[in-house]
Amino acid sequence: MVKKGFGADKTVYDNIDWCGFGTGCNVSKVDVKDDKVLRVRPLRYDESYDIQKFNPWKIEHHGETFETPMHSLIPPTSAAYKRHAFSRNRIPYPLIREDFDPEGDRHPETRGISKYKRISWDEAVTIIAKEVKRQFDTYGPGSILMQQDGHGETKIVHPCHGCMVKLLELLGGATLQARQPDSWEGWYWGAKHAWGTEPLGQGYDQNLMLDITKNTKMLLYWGCDNETTPWGWGGQMPSRLSFWFSDCGITSVAISPDLNYSGACHADKWIPVWPNTDLALQFAIAYVWITEGLYDREYIDTHTVGFDWLEYEVMGGKDGVVKDPKWAEERCGVPARTIKALARKWHKDATTTCHCNGGSYIRSCYAHEPARMEVCLLAMQGLGAPGRNFMKFIEWNIYENPNYSPMPRDAAYLTGWAGYNAAFLDAQDRFIPKTMIPEGIAATPEEPIDWYGHVICMMPREDQFLPFQFPPKGNPGLHMIWSDTPCWSTCWNGGNEYLNALHNPNLEFMLLQHPWFENDAKFADIILPVTTRFEVEDCAIDNQSGIFNTFLHCEQAVSPRGEAKSDWFAVQEVAKKMEELFGADDPKYANLLHRYTDGRTVESSIDLTYSNSSAQIWTPIEEFKEKGYAMIPKVEDWEEDPAGFYLFYSDPVKNPLPTPSGKIEIYSTALAEHFPDDEQRMPYPHYIADSDRFHEYRESAKAKDYPYLIVSNHPRWRIHANFDDNSWLREIETCKVIGPDGYAYEPCWINPVDAEQLGVKDGDVVKIYNERGWTLGGVYVTERIFPGAVLQDHGARIDPIEPGVSDRAGANNLIAPKECTSQNCAGEVTSGFLVGVEKVDVFELAREYPVAFGRTFQADEGPDIDNWLVA
Amino acid sequence: MKVFVIDQKYCNGCYGCQIACKDEHCGNDWMPYQKPQPELGHFWMKLQETTHGQVPRVKLEYRPYMCQQCDSCPLVEKWPDAVTKREDGLVCIDPVKAQGNKDMVDACPYGVVYWNEELSLAQKCDGCAHLVDAGEVPHCVDLCPTNAIRFGDESEFTEEIARATRIDMGTESRVYYLNAPGLFIGGGAWNSDDDEVIIGAKVTLTMPDGTTRTTETDDFGDFWFRNLEAGSYRVDIQADGYASVADHAVDLTKSLNIGDFDMAKA
Repeated sequence: MVKKGFGADKTVYDNIDWCGFGTGCNVSKVDVKDDKVLRVRPLRYDESYDIQKFNPWKIEHHGETFETPMHSLIPPTSAAYKRHAFSRNRIPYPLIREDFDPEGDRHPETRGISKYKRISWDEAVTIIAKEVKRQFDTYGPGSILMQQDGHGETKIVHPCHGCMVKLLELLGGATLQARQPDSWEGWYWGAKHAWGTEPLGQGYDQNLMLDITKNTKMLLYWGCDNETTPWGWGGQMPSRLSFWFSDCGITSVAISPDLNYSGACHADKWIPVWPNTDLALQFAIAYVWITEGLYDREYIDTHTVGFDWLEYEVMGGKDGVVKDPKWAEERCGVPARTIKALARKWHKDATTTCHCNGGSYIRSCYAHEPARMEVCLLAMQGLGAPGRNFMKFIEWNIYENPNYSPMPRDAAYLTGWAGYNAAFLDAQDRFIPKTMIPEGIAATPEEPIDWYGHVICMMPREDQFLPFQFPPKGNPGLHMIWSDTPCWSTCWNGGNEYLNALHNPNLEFMLLQHPWFENDAKFADIILPVTTRFEVEDCAIDNQSGIFNTFLHCEQAVSPRGEAKSDWFAVQEVAKKMEELFGADDPKYANLLHRYTDGRTVESSIDLTYSNSSAQIWTPIEEFKEKGYAMIPKVEDWEEDPAGFYLFYSDPVKNPLPTPSGKIEIYSTALAEHFPDDEQRMPYPHYIADSDRFHEYRESAKAKDYPYLIVSNHPRWRIHANFDDNSWLREIETCKVIGPDGYAYEPCWINPVDAEQLGVKDGDVVKIYNERGWTLGGVYVTERIFPGAVLQDHGARIDPIEPGVSDRAGANNLIAPKECTSQNCAGEVTSGFLVGVEKVDVFELAREYPVAFGRTFQADEGPDIDNWLVA
Repeated sequence: MKVFVIDQKYCNGCYGCQIACKDEHCGNDWMPYQKPQPELGHFWMKLQETTHGQVPRVKLEYRPYMCQQCDSCPLVEKWPDAVTKREDGLVCIDPVKAQGNKDMVDACPYGVVYWNEELSLAQKCDGCAHLVDAGEVPHCVDLCPTNAIRFGDESEFTEEIARATRIDMGTESRVYYLNAPGLFIGGGAWNSDDDEVIIGAKVTLTMPDGTTRTTETDDFGDFWFRNLEAGSYRVDIQADGYASVADHAVDLTKSLNIGDFDMAKA
């Protein structure tokens, strides 16, 4: 029985996180009174159990002690969640676009422009049922794109990530949107070929908390913001960990264009670098080591292959340019003397690099190059030696893989798949890489598109060599989208092209189910209102906090708002209607609802999930139900676990890496075999900048017109595109900038040197533009950004001015390059590209664009949904 | 007697405390302790942030800031019927007796009393007295992920209080701050002929009172003097084999990166 919080008539458990995909973090307690949420609190792990049975860890170092927190370390986004859950931006009832006539003219050209009118659930699901059947009858399987991944809340019984998939599979199948490794592109496409680490491509960091504590002298936080990115995917244990490392006397160095929120807390030294120029810095470090003999030659001989190719490239390569520190200084902005000092200190002091997804380092043009170059640098200093490793502050225990957590090992990893009602990240026959959806919409059987790899982030290295196309032979093109995560345009590459693609007349129907009216929702034909996590009974898993793996029973906190139904129930409504309309005449639709649910209820789904989760090994289901949560113990002998790459370091023959040679492949034999003509991702790391594919560098010709490199990080005050309507967060000075017209603009960080040149000051509004369109930003003049770079977080809620061209909200993904990472890598490029910045007069803009600027808005929550509803 | 002890060294700037206050009080009626806080505009707990220095020597300072629960609270002295100093040290504005009294807002020298226009009521942090009386801690303390904000009996924090500072306006605050960073002077030493940083140079800071502090440049050629007050300082840098930097004047009103000194070879 959950102990009730002060003033509450009930208290329930919930994970308030955004991992998606059935696994999560941020275990919380929600106090409720009279169908209203009073407050959100951390869960105390020992409130119902004798914690000693779960082997809490404790380490001591030089008189300091670090031990298992006894409560969850939830971020402010969890604490502020109720403002988001009950914001005015909720979709109140089913909506249909006013000029969308399913029996007549559907007006795809007005998506994003026309308004919506209210319809009943029955009317909505009737239209949907008929349209889905028409798609199958007309085109056969494959014409419906299941846009089922995206970014969203995590649930298990009522998940937002693909409840429609099973239904469409029962009807014959559809086309999957294949989610690429969107936050760690470079590691997947580049580093994986060097050290073979499956499936992420990031380094093994098992048990590194202890290794770093004992052995590391310097931590390089390279493009790493562990005070921001983990909030939706782990909580705030990374913050505690960094403070601990500093208390141990370890020097922390931040390398990034911005003094990000991690640098602000933990960096002893900030080395600013222009966005996506880290590769030049890396080559110059290698130059110092090679020319001064400051690397582990014996390790190179015994643990790597192809080092001579790196030497060749550093000392001149094909272009004959020596990559020394002075050469790098011009390209990356870091003084040559600082590069030399960093290189020597890295060699002298045991150094571990730190990462946390996101940013220009790993999500920009040719991101595979800095990633694989980092592997080379780590190898040159003896990767896996005590204190010399690679650590990641996010997604601990991802894919239930013990190689991916620096924290003391858990005795088991929880799984929620038994009762999970959404889609799995499986390879499918019919799919389109998420990064290529605009091209996919336009593709036809006559003019297909092609690429390599299933692209899905958990595919093995060899998968990157498989050719695919859409539509596959014998399949139709796309004629419908069914989405439950409407944030493609605000989170992926070339958002304006996506919005323009939605006007394609071949796209006959766009269906959306979602709680909030945001982003791509404005382009749907029918919208179904969906519940938030507070409004459903569910269960939840925390594998990623780094504290205790925890399984929760999430009782329903409050009743559904408006006419909202959960994602699972919404799809059930469609199944039920199809059965009702067509089941009598066509066996394909007979008994469809039961076939969809397998007869499961919410309660039986939770029981099924728990009984297969691993938690039942330690806590019987009856006890779990009584207490509301269950935990997995830590192993007792966790200190004996090998740290990071130590086994490989100590004996590479006995403990080979999963590369073709078993060694670190500075020269990738597999890339050489499969892509011998690829000059962008060559078999060995090489310096690449301006090229035929990308002109997104300071030395590119178009930099005359667009002189700034933009950093577009994972947002500090949102979780991707979620939360933009949160009034409590909007009051924070780095969250929004109130313009002269009272509108809350997305901050654009500008250094005082650049601000003076641009003639702007705090609170001004600037246009951020390039040849792909423009958006706006509120000027935030700060020393936290390197001159020559500007920063605007990604994910602001689109407020279209001219859909597909311009936007008021600061949704800068709209003007990110559409091209993928490189010619054979279907990754995204969403940070570190060129923009121009100029001051604008918002009142003049309002005269030029009266419709867009005439929409009502609240500074605390953004544009009103009423603007889009027919009065 | 209760105190707050806030260690700025461990504040990660997450604003969880500021959000916690809103989570606890916005839209929630805790009478007879507190009436609801407006959804916007009140910061009974406010995280203050200050950017110190200039590229690339930049530091952030975060400071949770709220009612200081003063033993000599001017509001208690002026309106003893409406504002109470509790036995446990918390200062509470009575939501009924203080009704309509807007003067309370300006009476607080710390600027932590807010006016609720809708309720015609002055409001502020009372340390979540309703939770404290129920045996809980203030919600901001509960949600602080790093234990930077702690709350409890004064006797539990004797050691911390001995080395803490207060935002002292002569009112006997019960909020103690540890590791307040103050201002800094940062810089670097290098030689342009070799294009190399100079490691181990001796850097001397002459303080406004004539006393000195010394440090050495680190592996990046950087030096830092932290926890300074505003005033006039002088910096001297000496390194074997290089001409010294002598008597570099620094007028410190805000944290400064005084730049990299190109020290010619002697």
